[in-house]
Amino acid sequence: MAKITKEDVLRLARLSRLHLTDEEVSKYKVEIEAMLGYVEQLKSVDLGDLEPTSQVTGLKNVMRQDTEKSYGASPEQLLKNSTSIVEGQIKVRRMLQ
Amino acid sequence: MHILKKENNYTITVGIECHIQLKTKTKLFAAVSNDARNAEPNTLISHICLGMPGALPVLNEEAIHLAAKAAFALGTVPQKNSKFDRKHYFYPDLPKGYQITQFDQPIILGGHVKIASNGVAKNINITRAHLEEDAGKSTHPAGQDYSLVDLNRAGTPLLEIVSEPEIHSSAEAKAYAKELYLLMRYADVSDANLFYGNMRFDVNVSVSKTNKLGIRSETKNLNSFKSVEKAVDYEAKRQIDLLEKGDKVLQETRGWDDAKQKTFSQRSKEDSHDYRYFPDPDIPPVELSDKYIKNIQKDLPTMPEEWRKILNSLELNDSQIDTLLISEVDSDIKYLKNINKHLNDKPMAKFLADWYINITIPQVNDNNFVLENSLHHSLELEIYRLIKSNKLSSTNAKALYTEITRGTKLPASIEDYARTKGYIQVSDEKVISEIVKNVLAQNPKAATDVAGGEIKAIGYLVGQIMAQSKGQADPALAQKLIKKQLHIE
Repeated sequence: MAKITKEDVLRLARLSRLHLTDEEVSKYKVEIEAMLGYVEQLKSVDLGDLEPTSQVTGLKNVMRQDTEKSYGASPEQLLKNSTSIVEGQIKVRRMLQ
Repeated sequence: MHILKKENNYTITVGIECHIQLKTKTKLFAAVSNDARNAEPNTLISHICLGMPGALPVLNEEAIHLAAKAAFALGTVPQKNSKFDRKHYFYPDLPKGYQITQFDQPIILGGHVKIASNGVAKNINITRAHLEEDAGKSTHPAGQDYSLVDLNRAGTPLLEIVSEPEIHSSAEAKAYAKELYLLMRYADVSDANLFYGNMRFDVNVSVSKTNKLGIRSETKNLNSFKSVEKAVDYEAKRQIDLLEKGDKVLQETRGWDDAKQKTFSQRSKEDSHDYRYFPDPDIPPVELSDKYIKNIQKDLPTMPEEWRKILNSLELNDSQIDTLLISEVDSDIKYLKNINKHLNDKPMAKFLADWYINITIPQVNDNNFVLENSLHHSLELEIYRLIKSNKLSSTNAKALYTEITRGTKLPASIEDYARTKGYIQVSDEKVISEIVKNVLAQNPKAATDVAGGEIKAIGYLVGQIMAQSKGQADPALAQKLIKKQLHIE
């Protein structure tokens, strides 16, 4: 079974820009390990010489024409999901100093 | 001298990644306008651009079409099979937390860009080019503790073209960037407007004294050919100085400060290298048929390489040819198409090419060209006719052209207009003869000098004749008549 270290959790947290407390790190270490362990059961399935694939629908070339269309929701409505808007822009914590 | 000698011991190696915005009407995966140039922030957005839960991105067929065209521009064919993947990283201008891009099956593999630097031709090989969506644009207001995000640009289709590290000087880097620009413009896949950031370059620079490549830095988001050249120069020197001091070059991302003409270190990316790519389940793979690929090749416009061959046949030098190639796409005037129309009459085609290079293009660059596109070509043809029949001197031809092209209308008869403006040369022997007689009488010393074999002095006499005729005399005829009256030859 996959062994997850404290460092692995901290690294995942950094990649996701999350700050975790020590308790959370210990908690997620156990949870992630359990999740990966669960998925790892798939490894026991005998696939024979089946080729790896990334698509199971058999679809290909699903495309649309290069024309504008309205999806129903206006930009104003969509922006209502943001916590703070300044001059039409989404306000976020400062990225560069 | 000291620095030059040091540089000679190091080999500079450069690879360039270029992001080009494809000229589709809508975004790569959303049917929302792609033209963010004059749009207010966050007006060109949809649930797809914002990465809302449940949103289903659908691929824009035109982006595939343009990328396939770009493959031919890069001297290769598009891949029959390609697919899209998710590249994960967390940043405020990337709403989904991943970018849809192409990882292991890009639409373009291989190809090359032919460059000429210091007169030496060389192919720079292309590793790959893939389609991906752009991120949003963030700004960082001075004195505030926040940043602002505009997602108009999020989802814009980009083609990222990656070169092999086969560029070995700043001059080659600049030549590569310029040629790539021409290729994309002539293939008509992008407006490639550098001012609007339609084309951005990342340069990977390393230096080494051995055959092994040195540690490289990546300078990102260069938006002019000049900054590509300067950044390579700066990085090579910086790295050589570090190594000479016994320090190490850090593998890092750097930015370019155009005002200071320097690169500077940006946030360390040691962690963000783990992008956790995986195939995007929302976007089924793309498969191009042979017929589709063949049709694109058939419709490919005349490319710079072909134009170079045509223009070479008119005895133009490389820099003149480049002037025409760049001007063709930088202005609305169809210089090359006009020249091309007259290739069966070489002297005329050559006249047009020279005329465009020396007169029209400088005038257009100085914003002194008003006359409509459909009108100026007939003016050029008429001027050629008048020069050829000795009715117009080259000086007067330029004056006439400049005058007319600054206005919006073409005179009904260009010759009549030129005559009333005093541009038409007097080629009537009787009239000129009379003036020559007067000038010789008024300038006995010069006349004696010329008669005595000091042929140089003839220029002065011709000048006097031009002055007395108010510039309308045909100077060649005037010279002939002076000689005749002085019984020379």
